[in-house]
Amino acid sequence: MIRSGWPAALSIVLLLFVSMATPGAAQQPPIKIGVVGGLSGAAASIGQAWADAIKMGADEINAGGGILGRKVALSIRDTEFKVDVGVREAKDLVLREKVNFLFGAISSGVSLAISTSVSKENKIIQITAVGNTHRQTVELFQRYFFQVVPNTFMEGRAAASVAAKQQAWKTYYTIGYDYEFGRMQAGAFVETVKKLRPDVKIIGQHWPPVGETDYTPYITSMLAAKPDVVYSNLFEAGLAGFVKQALPYGFFQKVKFVSLADVSSMMAVPEMPEGVLGYTRGEFYCENTPEMKKFTDAFHQRYKYYPVSYAVMGYDSLFMLKKAIEKAGTIETEAVVKVLEGFSYDSLRGKFTIRPLDHQADVPEYVGWTVKDPKYPFVILKDIVKVPGSQIIFTEDEVKQMRAAAKK
Amino acid sequence: MTAADVLGQFLSGLARAGVLFLIAAGLSFIFGVVKIVNFAHGALYMVGAFLTYSFTVTLKLPFWWSIVLAAVCVAVIGILLEILLFRRVYGRPVADQLLLTFAMVLIIHDVMRLAYGSNLRSVPRPPLLAGAVFLGDVIFPSYYIFIVLTGLAVLGGFWAFLHRTRLGKTIRAAVGNREMVACLGKPLPWLFTTAFAAGVFVDGLAGAIGAPLGGIRLGMDFDIIILAFATVIVGGFGSLPGTALAAFIIGEAYAFGIWFVPTIALSLPFIIMAAVLIARPWGLLGRAGGGEL
Repeated sequence: MIRSGWPAALSIVLLLFVSMATPGAAQQPPIKIGVVGGLSGAAASIGQAWADAIKMGADEINAGGGILGRKVALSIRDTEFKVDVGVREAKDLVLREKVNFLFGAISSGVSLAISTSVSKENKIIQITAVGNTHRQTVELFQRYFFQVVPNTFMEGRAAASVAAKQQAWKTYYTIGYDYEFGRMQAGAFVETVKKLRPDVKIIGQHWPPVGETDYTPYITSMLAAKPDVVYSNLFEAGLAGFVKQALPYGFFQKVKFVSLADVSSMMAVPEMPEGVLGYTRGEFYCENTPEMKKFTDAFHQRYKYYPVSYAVMGYDSLFMLKKAIEKAGTIETEAVVKVLEGFSYDSLRGKFTIRPLDHQADVPEYVGWTVKDPKYPFVILKDIVKVPGSQIIFTEDEVKQMRAAAKK
Repeated sequence: MTAADVLGQFLSGLARAGVLFLIAAGLSFIFGVVKIVNFAHGALYMVGAFLTYSFTVTLKLPFWWSIVLAAVCVAVIGILLEILLFRRVYGRPVADQLLLTFAMVLIIHDVMRLAYGSNLRSVPRPPLLAGAVFLGDVIFPSYYIFIVLTGLAVLGGFWAFLHRTRLGKTIRAAVGNREMVACLGKPLPWLFTTAFAAGVFVDGLAGAIGAPLGGIRLGMDFDIIILAFATVIVGGFGSLPGTALAAFIIGEAYAFGIWFVPTIALSLPFIIMAAVLIARPWGLLGRAGGGEL
């Protein structure tokens, strides 16, 4: 018996030696990324798509040898779209799970709260690919926060820059959700349209609550005002209800419509008519590149649904971080921050650069006209104008002025 | 602003009132009979909407069968909940009832999440009701006519049930004097189960009929249940004509509110509720102390 145990003991000793001698992945602890966003609640499908893309990206990175020879380990937490839950989960990820980086959140409000009370306090880099209030890069900016999604203002500006070119559109009505995102985006849209077209008149504005399901009184009152155009930043359930309820009124024959047209909303609105001026942050069909096609095919095969823009941006944020860590040669926070400031990255949406002043990436916004495509069970955009980030991003002076104004 | 515009706005308020009444009617009726504040009412409304999605979109059943089936299924779920759980908290403090019914909200939500995921669903309107009726310059979507008519039918149906059927009369008697009805050998628990089932059936019907209005998603119940409670409070708990009147007032107040005073339109239902609570704490058509149906 003793003799027969020898080979086993010897092989264990040998294995120990071998494993000690192997450099890289086997010993080094993984790079931990806390992924914190709304996976249930008001915009659950958005959060799910974003997290799914990050999961797929992490698997690809690990299959390719990791980052600096270290695997990527994700800890995914649900914020339920609530500020208190988001902050609690993010804190837990940082303090107990000791994550090295934070991704998130989905809601602007949750994202902002995590930035000011978790990322800043604990000096942990936070990258947002969905939650996009500009306040987190302007008034409440802190140096560990990075934004690789067009902010609320950039989206409104981009949509307005194309709307203003339609000479026949002279009177506008706006309808936007009654919270930070809706108000800011409609504000940016109105401001830009007026600047480009002083002859344009805003004849009314509606602010329904986020949970509104019955838009009928809004629809009838807007039609009574007879605007040329209605601008809307409703999305998902709200947009679905609005379009369904507007159709019997012949709404879309009577007025032109400018709307968010992200695929996740369009999937929920099969009735969306053609010829609507839509804007989105970067869908898979917006870029005709082999990289986007490869990503789209892999995502669709794995998850059985199309990668919406939130998936595209989540994927971009992960691989941008990978490149930045590799350039820094370390995951040490200050070194990675230094690399990220001014960092240029070739993303699925083309090349973008992170501006050192506010850590806002000059990412593009896509504006086009809705059209039905037999390939997809939702409308897509055609004649797309890719509005470059450099045209819609706040200028450095604007950022400085807004910061100075906020200090007063 | 023309007369047609005003009439159009009035009709959109009427449609809103119709939806609100369908949801609030069951809530009010159940409270009137079994005296339970049922927070799960909204969640069951959502179940009705999701089931309608399954029947029409997944199983491709005709719309009309789907809404009836969905309402029946929700009623069956309601009966099971009543027998297994809710009847145990009748007569207990309101806090106990809230705890139990709110727990059901959370459980139903998680079950729906498991069954349907968190994506938004959409039920198309039946072709017959997809269009609109034109009265000169005024447009009224046909689907809203259907909703308003269903609301009136539910109101009439409840009245006929309570005043013209033996079962209904016994339920009314039981509301007035439980002990006497029990002494007469009527099985009180089953009377209550029947009343609960009727209320939940209308709730499921509301979810089914509401499904093609907008999007169906988890959490669609939270937004509407608060308004439904406000409607029931304004009308008077237990009074169906009161609930109908309150739905009408709140629907129209909102429709004209967003037109003329958009800044306070959202709070109008609750301003009305506060005013009613101050002037008539038992609601517009309710009776002080509950009383009869």
